[in-house]
Amino acid sequence: MKLSFGCNSQSFLVDLSPAPSGKSHRVTLGDKTVEVEILRADTEQGKLELLIDGKRVLAYISSDSAKRWVTVNGQTFVLTKQAASRRSGSGHHPTAGELTAPMPGQIRAVNVSEGETVTKGQTLIILEAMKMEIRIQSPIDGRVSSISVKVGQTVEREQTLIMVERLTIGPVTFDI
Amino acid sequence: MFSKILIANRGEIAVRIIRACRELGIKTVAVYSDADKNALHVQYADEAVHIGAASPRESYLNADVLIRAALSSQADAIHPGYGFLSENASFAAAVESANLTFIGPSADSIRAMGDKAEAKIRMKKAGVPTVPGAEGLESVSEFEKAADEIGYPILVKASAGGGGKGMRIVWEAANLPEEIQAARREALHAFGDDRLLIEKYIPDAHHIEFQIFGDKHGHIVHLFERECSVQRRHQKIIEETPSPLLTPELRTQMGESAVKAARAVNYFNAGTIEFIFDPASSTFYFLEMNTRLQVEHPITELTTGLDLVQWQIRIAAGEHFPYRQEQLTQRGHVIECRVYAEDPANGFLPSTGRLLQYIEPRGPGIRVDSGFRAGDEVTHFYDPLLAKLIVHAENRQTAIQKMRTALREFVVHGVVTNMDFMQAVLSHPDFANGKVSTRWVENTFDWKPTAAPSFESLVAAALADFTIVNRQSKIENRNEHDPYSPWKNPSGFRN
Repeated sequence: MKLSFGCNSQSFLVDLSPAPSGKSHRVTLGDKTVEVEILRADTEQGKLELLIDGKRVLAYISSDSAKRWVTVNGQTFVLTKQAASRRSGSGHHPTAGELTAPMPGQIRAVNVSEGETVTKGQTLIILEAMKMEIRIQSPIDGRVSSISVKVGQTVEREQTLIMVERLTIGPVTFDI
Repeated sequence: MFSKILIANRGEIAVRIIRACRELGIKTVAVYSDADKNALHVQYADEAVHIGAASPRESYLNADVLIRAALSSQADAIHPGYGFLSENASFAAAVESANLTFIGPSADSIRAMGDKAEAKIRMKKAGVPTVPGAEGLESVSEFEKAADEIGYPILVKASAGGGGKGMRIVWEAANLPEEIQAARREALHAFGDDRLLIEKYIPDAHHIEFQIFGDKHGHIVHLFERECSVQRRHQKIIEETPSPLLTPELRTQMGESAVKAARAVNYFNAGTIEFIFDPASSTFYFLEMNTRLQVEHPITELTTGLDLVQWQIRIAAGEHFPYRQEQLTQRGHVIECRVYAEDPANGFLPSTGRLLQYIEPRGPGIRVDSGFRAGDEVTHFYDPLLAKLIVHAENRQTAIQKMRTALREFVVHGVVTNMDFMQAVLSHPDFANGKVSTRWVENTFDWKPTAAPSFESLVAAALADFTIVNRQSKIENRNEHDPYSPWKNPSGFRN
């Protein structure tokens, strides 16, 4: 059984198979193979007590659709479960020139209008979330092709706020 | 003594105050917005009153509704907590006019000290050292002129403010107009008051504050210092006491100045005098006074052995504060870490979501003040403070070790937290040497999140999917039509 997890745009393929002894699992990750025994699985608490290569490990795991929150040895990682055949992570990529809300909040100000020419670093929209101001700035020199929000409007995470297009020909891709 | 107190706040501080009331045998009334109807503070109180929509202006900042709630539930006092209306003089006055007791200082003291500009003028008069600056400015050109005279960099602050809201450092004249506008908007939204003041920015300054306590009979003492220099975006994240920088002589001098400052505004109840401390010259300047309970009050409670919230209530009821200055001492060393739902790898942006897992550390000398439990939703409406982790040990070094261990045992899933970041601060040599200034996080600390997940975490994730997640989804499917199935509980493994 092969499982793939993504983290920080890297992919990790984990291969699970029954160990010859029968009561433990053989786990391969990269060039490392270890025997892992499940000492205790507490479904309700999201808790696993494992014996990894003879070493006791306590892990807390929570799942939220494809996301896996894993805490081991005081460190927490957020992994994304991927289809095992896929080699690299392909998360949400905004379309070219699209600026999205980094988190849920309320639009405080829209400083530009459609068709306006903007410069790189210019503050286009001010989003307020948790009593903080977040400035949505233009990543390029370009022109505002459309504005999808109004002042006072509540927006969700990754909702499109504004589109900026480069003045020269050809699509641009960027992340904010 | 009061028979019933309404707590005009939410989250961990509301829970903290309710606990103090319970210990004093006082009934409690919680208030809640639409977003908080299932919050811990609501469950913990004797009664709860719904006060409006999730947006703070329509609930926790609505003075009329809060006072009506207190009257209709027959409370005889209101505790404002920190933030929200705690430093709003009109609210304090309105509470008193409604024949209720405001658990805090007088409206006059709040007005005098809560207004940062007026406070500075008063402190200068009282002989307390202050930072060079300008108050009472209106037009952008007035700000520009004053800033030129003081010299850049300058700090722009909300007159009514606190907690870093509406605060901006301006490095050059060209940026001043835009920063003034932004600070005004933030100040107006956070405090309903857009007045600003500016002052000289001292780059390597430490933030050292003194807790003061006064009763209604003119007796004022200080409860020593809190070193709060580990900050991000002007917001404290790690506090400790005693400060590694203070000598007994400096402590006495600063304590006396703090009491002098409080006396200048006839202060009673809990208050905090914040000083900017310049380690190069060992000089200190009055920064501002917070006329309320501080977020970091627990570290003072543990070193002095006093329950500050109980004393706030007892003083508001007219009791004498029984301790003289020379009877008060500091015992051991205490550190507090503020566990925030925020992503240090992403500009400390708040992180929202449901708490899929939430396990607090336990052990000797460990205290956790929190307002959340597993299954709770962390929303974007309020401050992202999840919990305060506080440890008490014999000395600074053992306290740091205790904190590092406790942070490792604190498990939070569902929102990103700043715990790895604080862990890295605590293990940094600059922290060990007491060399962390208020700008250290921004300028010196080069923190990167762990790039790749550990081998063990990937193994655990794989086995969890194999043994728990899959099994559970089968059980969930089987029990789909049973709404009371134990698998519907908000445990970590629901998909």
